[in-house]
Amino acid sequence: MYMKKVLGLFLVLVAGLVSCNSNDDENGITIDGITITDDVDCCSAEEALQVYRFLQGVSIIPELSVEVDGKYNVYAYSKTGSLHTGYNELYFVATKKISGNYVKNFEVKNITPLMYMTQMNMSHSTPVSAGVESFNDGYLAVKRGWVSFLMNSSENGSWTISYDVDVLGSTGGTGNVNITVDALPDGQEWLKTFKVGDEVYVLSLVNPTDWQTGTNAIQAYVSKKSQPITTPYALATERFTIEIDPRMPDMGNHTSPDNVALTRQEDGSYVGRVNLTMTGLWRIHLTVKDAEGNIVAGGDDLKDGLSSLYWDVTI
Amino acid sequence: MLGALLLFTSGVFPVDSIDNGSHTIDEVVVVSSQSEGRKRSAKGVAASIDEHLSELSHVNLVRRGSYAWEPVVNNMQTERVSTTIDGMKIFYACTDKMDPVTSYVESSNLQIILLNSGLNGNPQSTGNIGGSLDLKLRRAGFGGESFHLNADAGYETNGHLQVYGADASTSSDRFYMNGGVFYRHADNYKEGGGKEVRFSQFQKVNVFGNVGVKLTKQDVVEGTFIFDRANNVGYPALNMDVKKAEAFIGSVAYKRLFDHPVLNTWETKLYYNHITHVMDDTKRPDVEIHMDMPGKSWTSGLYSLLSASKGVHEAQLNYDLYYNRLFADMTMYPGGAAPMYMITWPDVGTLNTGVALTDAISLPHQQSLHLSAKVAVQWQKLNSEEGYHALRVFFPGMKDAYQQTTGRVGASYAWSPAHWDFSLGTGWGSRAPTVTEAYGYYLNNTFDQYDYIGNPRLKNESAVELNGAAKWHPHPRFNIGVDANAFFFSNYIIGEFEDRLSPMTVDAEGVKVYGNIDHATIVNTSLKTEWQALPWLSWHTSLNYSIGKDAEGDPLPLILPLAYASSLHCQLSTINCRLTVRGNARQVRYGKKYGETETPAYAIVNLNADNTFSILKTRMTLRAGVENLFDKAYSTYSDWCNIPQKGRNVYVNLNVSL
Repeated sequence: MYMKKVLGLFLVLVAGLVSCNSNDDENGITIDGITITDDVDCCSAEEALQVYRFLQGVSIIPELSVEVDGKYNVYAYSKTGSLHTGYNELYFVATKKISGNYVKNFEVKNITPLMYMTQMNMSHSTPVSAGVESFNDGYLAVKRGWVSFLMNSSENGSWTISYDVDVLGSTGGTGNVNITVDALPDGQEWLKTFKVGDEVYVLSLVNPTDWQTGTNAIQAYVSKKSQPITTPYALATERFTIEIDPRMPDMGNHTSPDNVALTRQEDGSYVGRVNLTMTGLWRIHLTVKDAEGNIVAGGDDLKDGLSSLYWDVTI
Repeated sequence: MLGALLLFTSGVFPVDSIDNGSHTIDEVVVVSSQSEGRKRSAKGVAASIDEHLSELSHVNLVRRGSYAWEPVVNNMQTERVSTTIDGMKIFYACTDKMDPVTSYVESSNLQIILLNSGLNGNPQSTGNIGGSLDLKLRRAGFGGESFHLNADAGYETNGHLQVYGADASTSSDRFYMNGGVFYRHADNYKEGGGKEVRFSQFQKVNVFGNVGVKLTKQDVVEGTFIFDRANNVGYPALNMDVKKAEAFIGSVAYKRLFDHPVLNTWETKLYYNHITHVMDDTKRPDVEIHMDMPGKSWTSGLYSLLSASKGVHEAQLNYDLYYNRLFADMTMYPGGAAPMYMITWPDVGTLNTGVALTDAISLPHQQSLHLSAKVAVQWQKLNSEEGYHALRVFFPGMKDAYQQTTGRVGASYAWSPAHWDFSLGTGWGSRAPTVTEAYGYYLNNTFDQYDYIGNPRLKNESAVELNGAAKWHPHPRFNIGVDANAFFFSNYIIGEFEDRLSPMTVDAEGVKVYGNIDHATIVNTSLKTEWQALPWLSWHTSLNYSIGKDAEGDPLPLILPLAYASSLHCQLSTINCRLTVRGNARQVRYGKKYGETETPAYAIVNLNADNTFSILKTRMTLRAGVENLFDKAYSTYSDWCNIPQKGRNVYVNLNVSL
């Protein structure tokens, strides 16, 4: 919240500096802090408004902002402005300092999170998205990527993150920035790992807080631990099937019908369907099978008949 | 029946003018000074509505505690029975049926309870395959006593039940007004043998008022309201109790009294009622997960009833329209973890409108014909998005709006040659699934220990009814009669086990989803005799037997086993007394498939007496009696989860009237 205000103030300041109203556009669209010109690199009034509105729904992560070449600012956002264990969606926008308007196309590269573990005196990375892409056709100027943090920051270890940008030929980067990764509250476990032979895989559940009672799309990523481990973990190339068995431990392991296993999509994500009959804590027990249908993780049916590999989601 | 409604609604004392000749109708007088020869509860006004209802033939009551019993007509429960209050639709608000709508009125509110057995329902009823109950409110009426005061007090030893009530009325040719308050309080009762039945207490307060103004000789405006509130009601057969069950019922009616060769009256009534129901499990020991389960029901509607007669015809045309909204949800609080929330009735709005026509035709040679028909259309919408999405998990193709058309037709013929009464009737009718049956969500049924899920794809249920009765009265002092009806259902709606689904309630056996079974049959038979052996002594007996079977021939649940009652009535001056033995044979056919257990035979003896006398122009009626004289421990087939009935109970009550 605080950062949002700062951003707002900042935009107002920019507007003051350029001392030019942003309503000089034929559609009469006015956006605080943005001057719409016929700059081909930047958004049209409609596009800028879409981006602006989208950004109202997310919060800036102030430590991840970077100025490039004195001409551009790149800002990073997450849903809440903070980061937590498991999957975090990150959004990036670049603005021209002179107009405050959003740059249509730019690149974010080499997102590199790193955990330094104090006691063991070693570092490792964590799963990240292959790259960043335009959010969708409606938000061309918003780039989206993700980082899935293996653990939260604590006295045992601390996180840094860095990324590089290329805005219209000008390059720059954040360098290693200290960040805080919060632990998830009780009843939320969105990241699990499993081993196949010597390989370690990470299962990152995507945005379960969006779920509601009823039928929900369930999405996840399977990443593979890198060698060396300080390299960000990329998506696993293997084709798994992740069977799900959602249960309510507080309700005598009540379950729901017609859940659909997660299967690998073209974009590398895994998508399935989960049915939730009510709100509360859902433990989604997992059975991971390889392309041949052999169980490679979970599915071990402990004494309660359920897999020991699970995500916890409280809605 | 036609005449009864007509006269009653004109505000003239109607009670004794009801034609009771047809076997399809029964009635119990609740409050009336002119009720000689009419059925009424031995306890008088102090009796609960449930006790009054139990006097009706064709009616049994499902008990989940000592309060708010569910009336069952012809072995059909609420789903197949229409209950109206003076023609007003009202729908219960508890997903566990803790509050049949009859629990929201009090004895002092009512003049009479009318029962129409089977498909030949009252004009406002819809979905009444089993029958329709109309609770007629007690209005002072025009041209009565200028001032009348009435007070009741009663006490029962078993459960320390206390009853207090008072009401007053004023009446003139142009105006009447009456109103009163009623209060009941009971602690836990004791079963036969003296063991206390925990969580069987209740407390209820009821306030009512009626007013009527004759604007001209032919124009009458009437208004009525009832406020009823029950608190701290225990349900020993269920896992929870009730913190509050509250209803407001109100109406305004305009009536035109015609001075016309054909038209008699035309009444149009606007009404509204609102029910709030809040369950409570905080007093129960060993509650695994505490839960809140509130429910709400409100209904607004109107009916317009035109009565006419010409020649041998007496006809009624009724139009009715109502909109009902039902919402219930449940929040469970597991220790430490996040609350679990679900919507159990997804805020269903039902708009229903229908037209009914009845004609009673007098034929020569003591014959008569009664014809009735109704067609109704209803639209339903699920207003809760969350509840709708939850149900879609089970029915992915379902919509959030549905429409149903239902109807009924009935015909009955009666012939009364010397010393005989015969009647024959037939009918066809259909009903739409109830909100619970169509959209209920994980409603736990303690009867069979299953969670129930509604099914929006249900078809309407329909039934063909056949009935007949014969009565022989060779002498004014003796008569014997037999009566039978049979219902042949198509698409009978009942819960069906679905092994794919997992129960929500911890310890539940599984999940049942409502479905249509191809056919089912319910047959009810009875035999009655009355013998006035001596001028002061009469002997009454009755025998009832019913059969219910599903499409596979297996017994349906909650069907009356062989039941009998025999009573001696004596009248000595102003004192009436009655000795009754009644019981059930062992329930040989029981719905094992539907989770029912066998109920053993029982017999109990009741003794009661009343005396009406006057002191200083004040009319007093003192009633006293003993129920279950031998303190027998028993439960009947309709006691939910076999909760025990009351043990010996001595009661005394006094009515003072001036």
